Amino acid sequence: MTYAAEISRANPSCFVFLVDQSSSMSDSIGGGQQRKADVVADAINRLLAELSVKCAKEEGVRDYFHVAVIGYGHAVGSAFTGPLAGRDLVPLSQVAEKPARVEKRTKKVPDGAGGLVETTTRFPVWVDPVANGATPMCRALAAAESLVSDWVSRHPDGFPPIVLNLTDGESTDGDPAGAAWGVQTHVTADGAALLFNLHVSAANAVPVTFPDTDVALPDAYARTLFGMSSLLPPHMRFYALQQGVPAGDLARGFVYNADITSLVQFLDIGTRATDLR
Amino acid sequence: MVTSSLRVPKQGHTPRECEDAAHVVAVPDGSVLAAVADGASESLLAGEWADLLTRTVTDAARDDDRVLRDADRFAAALVRAGQAWGGWLAEYVAKREAEDRPIAWYEQPKLDRGPHATVLAARFDADPSGVTRWEVAALGDSCLFHTRDDELLRAFPIESAAAFDNTPGLVNAFNRDQELLARHVRAVSGTASGGDGFFLCTDALAAWFLGAAQRGERPWRALAEFTRTGDLDGFTVWLAHARAEGLMRNDDVTVVHVDLG
Repeated sequence: MTYAAEISRANPSCFVFLVDQSSSMSDSIGGGQQRKADVVADAINRLLAELSVKCAKEEGVRDYFHVAVIGYGHAVGSAFTGPLAGRDLVPLSQVAEKPARVEKRTKKVPDGAGGLVETTTRFPVWVDPVANGATPMCRALAAAESLVSDWVSRHPDGFPPIVLNLTDGESTDGDPAGAAWGVQTHVTADGAALLFNLHVSAANAVPVTFPDTDVALPDAYARTLFGMSSLLPPHMRFYALQQGVPAGDLARGFVYNADITSLVQFLDIGTRATDLR
Repeated sequence: MVTSSLRVPKQGHTPRECEDAAHVVAVPDGSVLAAVADGASESLLAGEWADLLTRTVTDAARDDDRVLRDADRFAAALVRAGQAWGGWLAEYVAKREAEDRPIAWYEQPKLDRGPHATVLAARFDADPSGVTRWEVAALGDSCLFHTRDDELLRAFPIESAAAFDNTPGLVNAFNRDQELLARHVRAVSGTASGGDGFFLCTDALAAWFLGAAQRGERPWRALAEFTRTGDLDGFTVWLAHARAEGLMRNDDVTVVHVDLG
């Protein structure tokens, strides 16, 4: 059985987020109002906060995961801002302790009497939205491969690294398929490194979630990203189904034209661990 | 009646990080009360909540002998534990402030949701005639096993290793819905005689116990070997082997052994 390794402080796993920061990310998402760069940065910040809470115990946040956020646009490198700027893989406890800032945001919650009441929550920020330059996806995947390769050599029996690529799809430094395959060639005793792709399109096209074929995809970029994506491991398929998201035996970790809800859901499913100890 | 208990954390964790709890009270009238609780690892302060639950339900059962017979009274005791949690938590937060370690942003959502735990409590009343009457109440998948003459007589509330899953009933510290809790409480009673044994176990050990019994083995022998001697180190080594061989899930483990002698 693969993708079943226990994740613990002694046997942590890692996530590498690749964030497209090219100038086209300033376009609005899926025909809506919000800029793709804003939506993606928000989703990653939310996910990092949720991961920190999930791994929090009385003595602090446990290092079940190490996390890197690599931006690619006018440059390829760490997208962390604040105290973690320039860092690649960071233990989750340090992520939790060192956001760039903690914003106060308002949200509406049920008042218990059928209505809604506004309340403020603390929203930590590690990654700011950036939209500047080309889309060097091949270099970004090579950077991910370097981190994955090093991680696997140091954790040969652990849960394999997961790379999540968030992009609007158009690589400008060549066909990314080879670099994507390079990431997935690094294997622990528990399975190969996983690469999932999320295509945030400006087109007002029908979203596609965890497909098992590329026939419904509207363009060559989407089909390339589908072809680069790993099969969803069984536990993630199971979790997707629990969330009401169809995912068959051959479902790939790929989502096209995600709105913010499906983007957050994608990140949640794509980072779902089997068993934290 | 001799009672002994052992508690071991998950592999890779320190004893302080163990989120199981056990509490045993010998009442002056000769009866014995015992409880185990298993704090959910997704919670914050789950071990402290498990400890408070075991103390509250044994106190309640000592003060009112109907608590372990009546699901509604047991649920009322669980609600009382939750009310006590409110005070405990306020003190904890104040202490953290005083130590200049205020609650961090990543802790607050879990504190707001409250800790969860399973709980099982039992009473053993020995009669001068040699008959011991026992009663037990549980919410969740911590289990009691009754053995006699090297056989398993009774498993409660779960009777098969296959029946364990990842979604046991849990008591949340902020749950004040006594009716809802009562619907999830299971209670049973019986009689025992000299020589019988009882094992109160949290889920990973209970699942191993039932699996071994179903294979025709006698898991109570191995457990009794460690509990009778209080051999925590030996038990820890034995658990490490069982986990490494895939016979037991890597989880906190607690057993209370009540030996009727």
